[in-house]
Amino acid sequence: MKRFAVALCCFSTLFFVGRARTAGQEDSSSIRVNVVLVQLNVAVTDGKGNYISGLHPENFSISEDKIPEKLATFEEGGEPVQRLLQGPGSPVQTVSVPTGSVPTGTPSQPSVQDANDVAPATRLSGANVFILFDTSNYMYRGFVYAQDAIADFVRSLEGVNKVAFYSYSRDLSRATALTADRSKVLLGVRNTVAGDNAALYNCLLLTVKDAAPLKGKKAIVVFSNGPDDASSVPPEDVTELAQSTGTIIYMISTQQAQTDPISEAVFERVSKATGGKAYFARNWRDEKKAFGSIREDLAHLYALSYYPAANPNHGWRTISVKLVGKDVQRYRVRTRDGYRLLQTAQVTSASNANPGAESAPE
Amino acid sequence: MKGLLRPSAVSAACLVSLCACFFAFSSHTAQAASPVSAAPPQTVVVPGPLRSFLRMAGVSQKIPPEEVLPLLARNVILRGYENDTETEFLILLDRYIHQARELQTLAGPAQEIRIANCADATNLVHILGYVLRYPCGQKNNALVTANPERAFLTTDSGFPLTALEEALDKDAPFSYYYPSTPVPVIFSESAWVQLGNPKRRREGNLLDVLLRDRDVSRLYSAMAKIDTETGMALQQSPGLGKLIPVAGVLNFYGSQLCIRSGRVNVPGGADAEAGWTELVGASPRSPGDFITHLMAKDNGWLAVYYDDLARVDLNQQKHLTQSSRLKHLYEAYRAPGIEPSATRSVFRKGSELLVLFTRLDWDSSGQPYVPGNLQIWGEILNNQKGGFKPAHDWARRSRSWNSPEQLLEALVSYSRLETDSGPLQIYLALTEIDRARPPKMRLSDGAVRLIANKFPRYHAWFLVFSEFPDLNDTSINRFVMVADSVDSLSNVALRGNSLGAFQANLSLWQILARQGEIPSAQMNSSWQAAVEPFAKIPSSVQLFDAARSSLGGIMLAAGGNANLSQDELIDLLAGPPQNTPEGRRMHRDMVAKIHSVLDDQRLASLDTLFTLNDGLKEMAHGAHIGDRLLPLAEDLREFELPRPIFTESEKIDWAPVVYSTRHAELQVRTDLTKVIKGPGSPPQLETARGQLAPFLRDTLVGLNYAYYEPPGAQVLHNNPLFVRSHDFSGITMVGGEPFWGSPELFGVGATAGGGAYLIGSLADLPYALASMEEDFIAPENVQALIWKELVPGLLVSATLPRWWNISHDELHAVTLYQRSGEQLITAAGKNPELRSRVIQILSDRMAPQRLDWIDQELRQNNPNEVLPHMLPDETFYLGVEFRQKFAPDFAAAGSDAAALEALGTRDPAAVDPERISRDFGVPHPTLAHTYGRDLLHMKQLPAFGGYGARLFGESWESGNLYWARLADEMGYPPVMLNRLAPELTLHMTARIFATDIEDWPAVLRAMQETGEQFRQGKLASLPPANAISQRSGEPEGTTGGIR
Repeated sequence: MKRFAVALCCFSTLFFVGRARTAGQEDSSSIRVNVVLVQLNVAVTDGKGNYISGLHPENFSISEDKIPEKLATFEEGGEPVQRLLQGPGSPVQTVSVPTGSVPTGTPSQPSVQDANDVAPATRLSGANVFILFDTSNYMYRGFVYAQDAIADFVRSLEGVNKVAFYSYSRDLSRATALTADRSKVLLGVRNTVAGDNAALYNCLLLTVKDAAPLKGKKAIVVFSNGPDDASSVPPEDVTELAQSTGTIIYMISTQQAQTDPISEAVFERVSKATGGKAYFARNWRDEKKAFGSIREDLAHLYALSYYPAANPNHGWRTISVKLVGKDVQRYRVRTRDGYRLLQTAQVTSASNANPGAESAPE
Repeated sequence: MKGLLRPSAVSAACLVSLCACFFAFSSHTAQAASPVSAAPPQTVVVPGPLRSFLRMAGVSQKIPPEEVLPLLARNVILRGYENDTETEFLILLDRYIHQARELQTLAGPAQEIRIANCADATNLVHILGYVLRYPCGQKNNALVTANPERAFLTTDSGFPLTALEEALDKDAPFSYYYPSTPVPVIFSESAWVQLGNPKRRREGNLLDVLLRDRDVSRLYSAMAKIDTETGMALQQSPGLGKLIPVAGVLNFYGSQLCIRSGRVNVPGGADAEAGWTELVGASPRSPGDFITHLMAKDNGWLAVYYDDLARVDLNQQKHLTQSSRLKHLYEAYRAPGIEPSATRSVFRKGSELLVLFTRLDWDSSGQPYVPGNLQIWGEILNNQKGGFKPAHDWARRSRSWNSPEQLLEALVSYSRLETDSGPLQIYLALTEIDRARPPKMRLSDGAVRLIANKFPRYHAWFLVFSEFPDLNDTSINRFVMVADSVDSLSNVALRGNSLGAFQANLSLWQILARQGEIPSAQMNSSWQAAVEPFAKIPSSVQLFDAARSSLGGIMLAAGGNANLSQDELIDLLAGPPQNTPEGRRMHRDMVAKIHSVLDDQRLASLDTLFTLNDGLKEMAHGAHIGDRLLPLAEDLREFELPRPIFTESEKIDWAPVVYSTRHAELQVRTDLTKVIKGPGSPPQLETARGQLAPFLRDTLVGLNYAYYEPPGAQVLHNNPLFVRSHDFSGITMVGGEPFWGSPELFGVGATAGGGAYLIGSLADLPYALASMEEDFIAPENVQALIWKELVPGLLVSATLPRWWNISHDELHAVTLYQRSGEQLITAAGKNPELRSRVIQILSDRMAPQRLDWIDQELRQNNPNEVLPHMLPDETFYLGVEFRQKFAPDFAAAGSDAAALEALGTRDPAAVDPERISRDFGVPHPTLAHTYGRDLLHMKQLPAFGGYGARLFGESWESGNLYWARLADEMGYPPVMLNRLAPELTLHMTARIFATDIEDWPAVLRAMQETGEQFRQGKLASLPPANAISQRSGEPEGTTGGIR
């Protein structure tokens, strides 16, 4: 009933769908899917939360709406990308493959890494991280401690490709645009000023949109104090966009969020749905621990990608990732649980709302 | 362009005698003002870098030094206290000043903080509230918070902590220039310090006094708004000390005061002095007495009255202050016991009175214009219900009225009632409708009665009739009758869908009529064709048929075919057909924008709905076409709700009132495939047709949302329930009463509510959408805000107007008027007579202080100081007025003036100010009760609260004139304004760095910065002009328009 015109373009995880406008009298409508590569960032842990490394492509089984999918690329931590499958009619030019990347030799056995072990900086290579800092009024008391924790986090992201620092209250402030220069990011952190209301989901939406066009591993780390009181978009829409653009959301919140059941629920669910985690910090020491945990999580992600098999579903597509093989099925998998085909404007319109992106003050 | 025409009716001699503050006494002013302006300004020292102080004081960092103390004083008043207790703002600012003084001491006479190495930094780091994580010399060292209070001041004030950290980590020297900053002070520091609490006089300088003494801050803020000569006069008499008790009133209502040569220039000029003397109880020739009495009388209400009169143009002043009118109107206004003080609120009072005085029309005999007649007005007043104490008295008195003056007095009295649908608002709406109509077509008595009776319910919709004067009384009548009928539907869901579809179609009519796509001769017939089908809606099936028929009537008038496809309808909405390549390209862009919103809202296509409807009808009559309809029914089912993250019970518990996706959920459950496959019985098929009505409503509503999409919109593209959630019948409000007023945003900040949505009608949709989407504009300056009171108005002024039929000549005329104004100002620097004329014209547009400053600069031949501070609307106005008043001398003003004259000879229509006003003006729904575009050329209005909150934004008329000039000078075709105006306004908004909502110089600054960036090609989202002209030679795809 539906016709598909498939074409590859340069975004690795975005799905755009443009519905050809046909008169109702016609018996078919056509869907044009422009991008087909789905990228997943997958964390594998044991029952104690320790990361499992050393898994191989054959240890992962992916299905989309219960349709089995074949892995196209595989990457663990900062290791080189393994290209496993050629894209449909086009080279896999969307995935960055370091020179001499194809691994050789016998793969090692999976190993358990203690959650307290610090991963080497190289494991973070290629990742882009957006930090979104809540500066609304009720952050005032812990404002400077939070800045300290964020500054430490920024310093710890040595291997990360680029970092952006945004802050929000009622409006978003793109304090430091995505940059490889850590000192600029630190300057942005130390340059924040306290604000008024908290429009977390509005500002998170804009941040997801800024992250959307980026290739590879990308994450947003939200440092919040809890309740949103000024957003007009619901968290559901932000979550779907993050899922559909392959953006991981981590949430760190002060204890105030945990006293608000709605915020607690949202933080847990949004982060889980996007493959991230939520942390509720009782004090600034917990905040530092949370940032450390996020850094480790980013360093231990497996990056998988696949070209979806033919799927007539043009709404929400459910992704399932399972571990295959002896002794590995007991481990836990964390990744996004699906995505939705996007209209082009849903992503591109972010640039209209971002007039300052080309010259964000530093 | 009523404002432009009005002065021309008044003789030049009269104008000279009235020119409020300046022109009447200019010969004396020159001598009086010179010594004042020549004196070197006294200063007060702000410790530390000014930028840091401004950050802590909540003041824009782009202001000139002379504005530092006035804005500090203002912020202390507004933000420094809550219930007489110091707020965190004031506490932090005070702490910062102490910290800055410590650092100042550390910096020493060289005004530079110098640290030789890490070990040398102990004291500095302590003052800053930090500590080094590791001992000096260790790697990866960093500063961590030791004293949160101090550390907060350090970062909030923008101390370069990162640079210090880097230096300490490397054990390297660190230096930071840390100057004290002198800023100008009004009069002298001692003059203010001695006003403060005697116990605290020794505690510090003026900064400390302003922080600790609200009364002094109020007076300082007030005096900063007054021109130099007036201020000097007040300092001498009555003296600052005696003004302290009235400082609050003076701060709100004193900016229009003007003393020249020992007397107050009162509104109405010399002819009104006697009247003011009687009202105030002191003579304007004794300025000190006059002003203290004026400010103190009736708890500040006489000052409100004075201030409003001083803000209207000279012609209105003349009328309003004639003979006994001045006194009688005030007696009506001051009705006792309504409110204790004119300064009780955060916002000024008097907005409705100002609107009345601004828009009041006069008949040929000089009497206030009366829509209908006095008897009807008696009825209107007698129909008013409670809530306003003097209402009963006015109702009684109205029974014996025999003069329009009496009506005016009642209206002035009613201006104290805070409402959007009282007698004053009825009067203003009726006046605007009649103003737009030819004299012989004025509203009939019956129409006046009808509008007045129905005003509380439909007031927001009566703006259509002032925007389109071709709509006659029958069209008004039919609208009211049918709206009443829709309102009376008892089935809540049917009523909500009917309201939505009815309003959506009328709004589509409004769009097409505004774009000139509905011929004038068909205005009434097409309006009535859009209205009439909704007269009787017994069921959803009839609703579907009515909405389709109504839409067909509109499409027939605009497109010549009642059965256009959705794409063809969108072509019409996007704009009229274009006959140039760039016009067609722009048209396609507008089409794509509309489609984009419809797609992202996942709305069913009109074509699908109409085809399904027709097919179901055929099936009910036995046709076997199920196979053809099934794919369409499947299409309807493709709509999915966003993936839930809350359970149903959580939604009910956590957002019981806000949660409103029932309409959308109903659509998700709608499955026509069963009845098609069945096939169902004729009644079942008929019921299925009715199920299409909610879909049709949403698509029609969605077309309106899409048309008015603000630049940078996010919700429209990311919350697919937004259109569907529009609550027309008020079911989510207590009482469930549908209302026809402006839509209001509901559910903001309700996390489990499924997203914000609109409740109300579609009457004011552009503003409502702009109010929501502005929250997604990211300010470019640290600490800057997007001002809710201003920005929606700016966005609407750029998105509602469209520029499809503008000629190159007209666009160029807009430029030439502005440039001519600038040339006149430049020439005025060297020519006293010309300066006198320029100042005379500008006196109707500017507050005394600003006019005084311009005059002083021009006297010193400093036009280049003046020009960057002139609003485009002001230079345009100057060009237009000078050309009208001093036609023989106009062309000699400069090359642009000459070019304008030549253009006018060649193409008179292009230089017609009336036409330019219609094409490049902005809508004034609050001020002028119409969405018609106009340039009213008022003084920039102050900020008001409540119903007057939009006035400030509506008085900003410079945007489109400025963008038009940019487009012209950069070689863009006029049609490109359809894209440039919204997008440049978006960029401008992100750049606004204002201290408060009245900070219109910040808007001008942001506009100029945006213009400069645009000229330099730094706005990546906008194509260069040469690309447009090159593209216009490219082969085209589909053509825009369908006729």
